[in-house]
Amino acid sequence: MLNIQTRQEGAASVVSIQGKVNFEVTAQLRDVIRETVATVQPKLLVINLEGVSFIDSSGLGLLVAARNSVDKSGGKLHLSCLPAPVKKTFDQTNLTNYFSIFATEQDALRGA
Amino acid sequence: MAKGSVLVVDDEAPIRDILSFYLKRAGYQVLTAANGMEALEEMGRSRPDLIISDLRMPEMTGDELCKRVKSEPSTRDIYFIILSAMDGTASRIGGLSLGADDMIPKPFHAQEVLAKVDSSFRLIEMQKEIKRQNRELTSFQQKVQEEMALAAALQMGLLPKLPGETRGAKYTHRYLPAAGIGGDIYAIIPLADGSTAMMIADVSGHGVTAALISAMVKTSFENQARLGGEPLGWAQGMNQDLCRSTLAEQFATAWLGRLDPTSEKLRYVVAGHCAPLRIVGGARGGLQRSEVLRGKGFMLGLDPQLPFRENEAEFLPGDRLVLYTDGLVEVEREDRTMLEEAGLRRICAELPGDIEAAADAVIAQTRSHNQPAPFLDDVTLVILDRDS
Repeated sequence: MLNIQTRQEGAASVVSIQGKVNFEVTAQLRDVIRETVATVQPKLLVINLEGVSFIDSSGLGLLVAARNSVDKSGGKLHLSCLPAPVKKTFDQTNLTNYFSIFATEQDALRGA
Repeated sequence: MAKGSVLVVDDEAPIRDILSFYLKRAGYQVLTAANGMEALEEMGRSRPDLIISDLRMPEMTGDELCKRVKSEPSTRDIYFIILSAMDGTASRIGGLSLGADDMIPKPFHAQEVLAKVDSSFRLIEMQKEIKRQNRELTSFQQKVQEEMALAAALQMGLLPKLPGETRGAKYTHRYLPAAGIGGDIYAIIPLADGSTAMMIADVSGHGVTAALISAMVKTSFENQARLGGEPLGWAQGMNQDLCRSTLAEQFATAWLGRLDPTSEKLRYVVAGHCAPLRIVGGARGGLQRSEVLRGKGFMLGLDPQLPFRENEAEFLPGDRLVLYTDGLVEVEREDRTMLEEAGLRRICAELPGDIEAAADAVIAQTRSHNQPAPFLDDVTLVILDRDS
């Protein structure tokens, strides 16, 4: 079971995820992201991965799709707080270079 | 049309008559019997939907009748109501423990019995509907399972035939899809110039969708490799193919390599996939040094503009190449750790020379490391030994 929280920070939407992101829970996360993008159309979507212990290929696919859909609606996607195991998966798949990744949520919100 | 049929069993004729009268007036078809024996005879002629039976009767008592009806598979589903003069909780429980579905204490009002029969028929109808839906679901599930089995067999057919041989090398695989059908695929094909093209890929997600894409990945790879050239060009071509034909969240990690039997080098591209191991002199077995064939590159199917990079590694006669998908090393154990690349390297450091025994050993040792956690993702292991 994935714990997902969303909140608004000015023009930015923040989605915080806790748990294991694998194919069993991607549907749940997909709905939240889709709804946030569709209803708020945020200039900036920050996904905080601090509480994520593991992410599999379907989870990565979801994040890639999220980036593409935010791009299309003229916004930006920033990821923040990648724990070491998640960082490793991103490195292995070279996604570190595909996403804008920030050390803290504050940095991600500032886009610094 | 009658609402349904009720068999009234009682040794007292007036009770049978009263119940028959009310039930018939309410539209039920009514059968009667004076004791358990007669009831069984009656049931041999026509099968009632519901039985209302007295307990104390000559020849065969109501509890014996109930036991027989409920222990026989063909009559087990007949709704059974016991009429009993013994009131009180103890006897109610006694009657229900015989397998009766309900009880009516004597003396009773005919209206009370009628109300109970009506509500029982609502239950009976509901049960019938559930059974019908259950049959439909079961047959649907069976159909799906048959189709999945067929698809799984077809997918197995997409894998290279074993024992595998290509110019200057032999190979084997272990393929364990998580859901009978999976998103892992690999291919080893000899090229016109005498070299061998190799590919292992893991499509995101599971099941039928991933399996369909894996077939696409294989076709795309074969088309690209047959055009000639190097893995870099293949990766770029495959990426274009996949970006054109897959949906938003679907992509594949892959490793592509080209083995030239006249060269001591292996050229390869890592597209977001687990880096394979080169076991130096591994084809001879025993304790050997391993190397990770690292590289950086995006997964296939993300974006047609993304760049890939080609790498080169030494690969000498007698060397062994271990290709795998992440399902092999990413099983979370009870202590929350995973085998990972480092653990696989430890296992691969000492393997039998025989290629089949080596593949078995890798799977067995991985499994015993994960114990009792099973493989959850698709698992593919390919071992290729370069001839000495």
